[in-house]
Amino acid sequence: MTVKEADDLLRKGFSYAKRTKFKEALPYYNKALSLDPNNPEGWYLRASLLIDTGRIKEAIADCDKAISLNQNYAPAWTKKALALYNLEKYEEALFASTRAASLNGNDVTAWYLKGVCLDELDRSDEAQEAYGKSLELEIILDIEAERKKVGR
Amino acid sequence: MKTEMPLSKPIRRFINTTEELLDTEISLLRQPDAEPGGTLVDVYTYDIERNVIIFPAQYVGLLKDFIIAKHCTQLMIKGAATKKGEYKVCSYTEDSVYRGLRQIYLDALKDEASKKDKLPVQKLIQMLFILFTHFNDDLNELPWNAIINASVYHRMSKIRKTQLYHVMKESKNDMDEMMEQETIVPRRYFVLNKAMFYARDMFLAKTLPADELMPVLNIPQMKKFNHLEVKEMLTTRWTHTAWYQSKVFGDNMLEIVDKPLSQVNWNAEPTLDYYFDLYKIGVNLTNHLLSYMTMKDWYVWEEPKHLLMAHENKEEYEKKALKKIFGDLISDSLEDSA
Repeated sequence: MTVKEADDLLRKGFSYAKRTKFKEALPYYNKALSLDPNNPEGWYLRASLLIDTGRIKEAIADCDKAISLNQNYAPAWTKKALALYNLEKYEEALFASTRAASLNGNDVTAWYLKGVCLDELDRSDEAQEAYGKSLELEIILDIEAERKKVGR
Repeated sequence: MKTEMPLSKPIRRFINTTEELLDTEISLLRQPDAEPGGTLVDVYTYDIERNVIIFPAQYVGLLKDFIIAKHCTQLMIKGAATKKGEYKVCSYTEDSVYRGLRQIYLDALKDEASKKDKLPVQKLIQMLFILFTHFNDDLNELPWNAIINASVYHRMSKIRKTQLYHVMKESKNDMDEMMEQETIVPRRYFVLNKAMFYARDMFLAKTLPADELMPVLNIPQMKKFNHLEVKEMLTTRWTHTAWYQSKVFGDNMLEIVDKPLSQVNWNAEPTLDYYFDLYKIGVNLTNHLLSYMTMKDWYVWEEPKHLLMAHENKEEYEKKALKKIFGDLISDSLEDSA
């Protein structure tokens, strides 16, 4: 019952967060995490919100919590990479984005972040490779979205 | 600029340079329902405090970066022209609307005379102003699109593959534009509209070399373009459109577009003067296109606020122009459509 309740709270929080109503979303996430602290998705969602509100260090802590619950939880690695990138910790961000991309090869953001970090570290050729992969995925998603839009 | 979203190095630098040179601020905004090509809401057009570049929320990587690069370039051109006290856009007045609508009407009459299925009068009257504003929009967008794409291509080598994808996509959308109205729109305007986009595409095909295409061939949906150069890709599309028999217009317009743009040193130092020069070239190019299409007295060069006001007054302008063209005959017709 508690787990289901926590899931509902996460969903409610997310519906606010995606409309950039972060202030309203945060209490739902907090409550959900207090009810079910073993769900990596909850920590990941709160980390996303914290990044969007500029609380980067707290976001990293939440990502680490999610990863400690599930080492293979790719979204948390991507989010951690983003947070580290924002702190200009490019080496660490590169590690996190590389891990994310290896766990989920179709994660556009992970590949893009990897490219951005490599670029910042002046590893231009490797950056181009990562950018290339992220672009391919992004284009495929865009073409699919266009198709859906025109109802084909 | 303060943002939590990742940006590639050249884009971040370009945003910073733009902000510094123009002494302005740029915000980036993701929106789920944003235009695929993004939107620039700028301080040189609207009464706002900071510039906003809006792009589709699903663009998280280089597609986003290209949109930002494009709109930053546009902002530089607008900002440079404003700082020199010369930023103007193609607007319209009550009188110019009358001249435009009258010309379109006369051309439509010629077309209608040779048509088997005549267009109902009501529809014909409605079409006049729609077509007029359509050309206004296109003339305020298309010449700049060619300039901006060329500039981004030369200055941002790392996003060329992304640019190629955008150009192909944009070309397809522009080509589809007006197709559904092909039988309604007077032939001359249908052809001119397509010719403008053809010229833009052919100019870009010349500007963007084929080798940039190769990496995107890993994308299954783009495999059909394998072994084709950009020019061939775009030409192949154009030959399948209904207006191809009038290619001569497009080729003439390509010359109009190509001539001033081939003189530009795209790699010159990106100063305010440089972007102001691009602005002057854009105005010049637009004027040539207007002359070629004999629309020179349809539009006036005015400050952006003038165009915003014109949009606000457009219904009144249309009504007055129609009244002037059709006299009392129009009253019934306008009331019928109200």
